[in-house]
Amino acid sequence: MSSDLLRRLAPRQVLTSLAERRNYRYDAIQFGETPLAVVLPETTADVVAAVQVARAAGVPIVGRGAASGLSGGAAPAVPGLVISFTRMTALRVDPSRREARAQAGVVTLAVSDAARPHGLIYPPDPASLRTSTIGGNLAENAGGPMCFKYGVTGDYVRALQVVDAAGEVHELTRDAYDLAGLLIGSEGTLGLMTEATLRLVPPPRFTRTLMAHFPEVGACAEAVSQAIAAGAVPSKLEFMDRACTNAVEDYLGLGLPRAAEAVLLIDTDGDDLPTVEEERALVEAACAAAGGTVRRAGSDAEAAALWQARRSVSPALGRIRPQRMNEDIAVPRSALPDVVREIRALGDASPFTVVQFGHIGDGNLHPNILFDPRQDDSHAVHDLAHRIALVALRHGGVLSGEHGIGSMKRDFMRDAVDPVTLGALWTVKRALDPAGGLNPGKVLPEEVNG
Amino acid sequence: MNNEIREAVPGGQGEVMAHAVDACVHCGFCLPACPTYTLLGDEMDSPRGRIVLMKEVLEGGLSLADAAPHLDRCLGCQGCVTACPSGVPYGELITAFRGWSEPQRARSSLNRAKRSAILKILPAPRLFSVAARVGQFAKPLAPALPAALRAPLDLLPETVPPLQPSPPFTPARGARRGRVALLVGCAQQALAPNFNAATLRVLARNGIEVVVPEGQGCCGAAALHTGARAEALRLVRANLAAFNPGDYDAILSNAAGCGAGLKEYPAVLRGEQDEAQAHAFAARVMDLSEYLHGLLQAGELMPPLPASRPLKVAYHDACHLAHAQGVRAAPRALLRFIPGVTVLEVPEGDLCCGSAGTYNLEQPELATALGQRKAANILSTAPDLIASGNIGCHTQIQSHVRRAHSPVPVLHTLEVLDRAYRGEL
Ligand SMILES: Cc1cc2nc3c(=O)[nH]c(=O)nc-3n(C[C@H](O)[C@H](O)[C@H](O)COP(=O)(O)OP(=O)(O)OC[C@H]3O[C@@H](n4cnc5c(N)ncnc54)[C@H](O)[C@@H]3O)c2cc1C
Ligand code: SF4
Ligand code: SF4
Repeated sequence: MSSDLLRRLAPRQVLTSLAERRNYRYDAIQFGETPLAVVLPETTADVVAAVQVARAAGVPIVGRGAASGLSGGAAPAVPGLVISFTRMTALRVDPSRREARAQAGVVTLAVSDAARPHGLIYPPDPASLRTSTIGGNLAENAGGPMCFKYGVTGDYVRALQVVDAAGEVHELTRDAYDLAGLLIGSEGTLGLMTEATLRLVPPPRFTRTLMAHFPEVGACAEAVSQAIAAGAVPSKLEFMDRACTNAVEDYLGLGLPRAAEAVLLIDTDGDDLPTVEEERALVEAACAAAGGTVRRAGSDAEAAALWQARRSVSPALGRIRPQRMNEDIAVPRSALPDVVREIRALGDASPFTVVQFGHIGDGNLHPNILFDPRQDDSHAVHDLAHRIALVALRHGGVLSGEHGIGSMKRDFMRDAVDPVTLGALWTVKRALDPAGGLNPGKVLPEEVNG
Repeated sequence: MNNEIREAVPGGQGEVMAHAVDACVHCGFCLPACPTYTLLGDEMDSPRGRIVLMKEVLEGGLSLADAAPHLDRCLGCQGCVTACPSGVPYGELITAFRGWSEPQRARSSLNRAKRSAILKILPAPRLFSVAARVGQFAKPLAPALPAALRAPLDLLPETVPPLQPSPPFTPARGARRGRVALLVGCAQQALAPNFNAATLRVLARNGIEVVVPEGQGCCGAAALHTGARAEALRLVRANLAAFNPGDYDAILSNAAGCGAGLKEYPAVLRGEQDEAQAHAFAARVMDLSEYLHGLLQAGELMPPLPASRPLKVAYHDACHLAHAQGVRAAPRALLRFIPGVTVLEVPEGDLCCGSAGTYNLEQPELATALGQRKAANILSTAPDLIASGNIGCHTQIQSHVRRAHSPVPVLHTLEVLDRAYRGEL
């Protein structure tokens, strides 16, 4: 296969040495199999060439962005070809249409940076926005703090260029059959996304930032439910429990309340200042009613520091234990207080440190089990993760709010999706990828096949 | 990250490396901070990728020869350390790894000779001064020379000033308020003797007496970072013997790279018998800007005279100051303390200028690409003056700013302050 790749692509685009290939077998959560070769395309035509060669050789393909994924999506389950989009970084902003056209490897933050001089922003803001790519965001339908009010990546896609399993290029829009919508969130199992047309919006004129802290995790969730029921639509509503706050504090030393069991970070925003402040007052009242202590960010710098704190939670947890099993459940807001309490209780009863944080406004929680693979029993970790997932499902929730199923949560799909629906998903997969060559071993559990 | 490094390399340096690898959760937050990843866009030339490469070489799953090209491209700038929320001590990892791996490397005899010549000349001011002069004569021949010889010539400034050894003792002017020891650096003495002269004047003017202890030498960073661990240990121990930390309020360096090197001594000597001594020494080490900032905060720094006209100063964060030592606020505060000075922030300010240690000599293409990018970023702020706190950055920025046909002066932060005190700014 390597010689075929080298015939169709430039030498700098094809990686074959062991040192190179072994560096393309992990994402931010897991290590997988060493690929047979790695291609670093610069154009859609390069991607087509790579797909055709892999197909002719009968070799599976894994798409890869910045490998910041948290579900094992970019970690190859079997040896194959990795197509890494990090050099496809062309980006063009069209202010008159309020659009950006981005190649798959463009780093998420770069879209907003390019739009800002035109008075526009790109709202989807995963905590990994400085690292992750638009292609990876599309494949995971990434969300972020802003998604409660403004929506997730998929809500900002107008058109998508996709290379399918046969190496054909498609320009998909959102009309008729919304095939773009089908590809978004498909984790590289239905096609490779090479370019996207993204919608840009003007930023809100006013933003107010608040921090509230609580003596108990459930109380924090109650405050969220109350605030939203009272009519507030905060642009960001983020939660971190005590272990998270302390991990971040160890790293950044911002003066976060270390003793609090839960911390909420809230932005209200809009173009009408009285409404923005009214919403803030609603949130403050709900926090106080739930027993919380509220602090307003006095300056933009203070607000920026608080949001940096939130973005740093996930990697800062690495200081506590070298490895973590990361969940990404989403539950109805009304169930939040019960869910966070039940997960807290499961954690307390287990031998592991379990921490929780997440986009609580969406009911999207990230319970994480921290462990040390050298000492801890991986079955026990997996079992606890499964029980946490079941808490979410029992309360009418889902397995993935934004990080995807990948290989980490593939086994839990059987609890979450009924057999008939899983069969339908397999039918779609087989229609678009008959040979099963696109990111095999991800998302859909095996046995249901057939 | 899981690893078996402790089993593979027992002892202090194995512990240093294993600890760093343990801490990495391969999240990729460090990627955008890495200059080589920014230029090359591949995983092996990123911090996360290099951590994996080192782990696998140490564990025996990958040959050193396969991994080496990517590890050699690392500038050691530690931009990744600032960016990493998991607290991975990448700098300690790569340094320890280079020390461990260098003796096992197959290098051509020409390459070996070049490296050992660099390591002999860099730390010896007299030799360096002579070499620099010879080099200047050779400059007109540069286009005809092979790249390996051309790179070092490109680096040399237009003129090489005469050597000015620093006096062993400089008394305080007026009432004595403190006593410090100064590391005078090596290449810096030959290339920019005024850095030390300005330093002594500024300290003396503020009532600080300065000792330049005899027997001190190179901080050892250049040897350490190129993997010459035995040589580095010799230099480190010589300095531990020369400086008696108890005698001084602080041990100061005005070169970011050397200061970072001195602060690294405890990691270098981890597990060795003089580790405790290294801790006591490193606890006293400060960058000059940190020390003066302390005086400023205590209200004890003499106010300089105002600049003769409003001056926009673009401040360049040297990697070994900002990333390795975490010193960012102090030099900016010192510059702002001069009436009339505005400090400008440089776009992509966290990205290395490309002149880490011997990088210009080892990786001339990447070094040039980074130097050009840095000069363009700095000049985009339209400064009247460029300031930085490191000799390596100073020469690199000066050379690329000149190549971009800009006449903007490049000074050490301390030179700016010194000029202000003398009413020459
Ligand atoms: C610290 C941290 C915080 C995070 N916070 C958030 C958050 O707030 N919200 C959130 O949603 N996610 C978050 N994530 C998860 C991750 O950053 C996102 O899933 C992100 O969208 C992945 O982008 P990537 O470029 O790193 O993709 P990768 O990890 O490289 O790939 C992810 C998946 O997409 C596929 N893929 C990649 N590129 C393409 C392409 N061009 N075409 C088809 N398939 C492709 C891969 O095969 C894989 O299945 C976080 C991760 C980390 C490490
Ligand atoms: S940011 Fe830190 S933890 Fe994350 S990959 Fe880089 S070195 Fe590892
Ligand atoms: S030290 Fe600098 S060059 Fe080396 S990996 Fe870190 S950021 Fe990249």
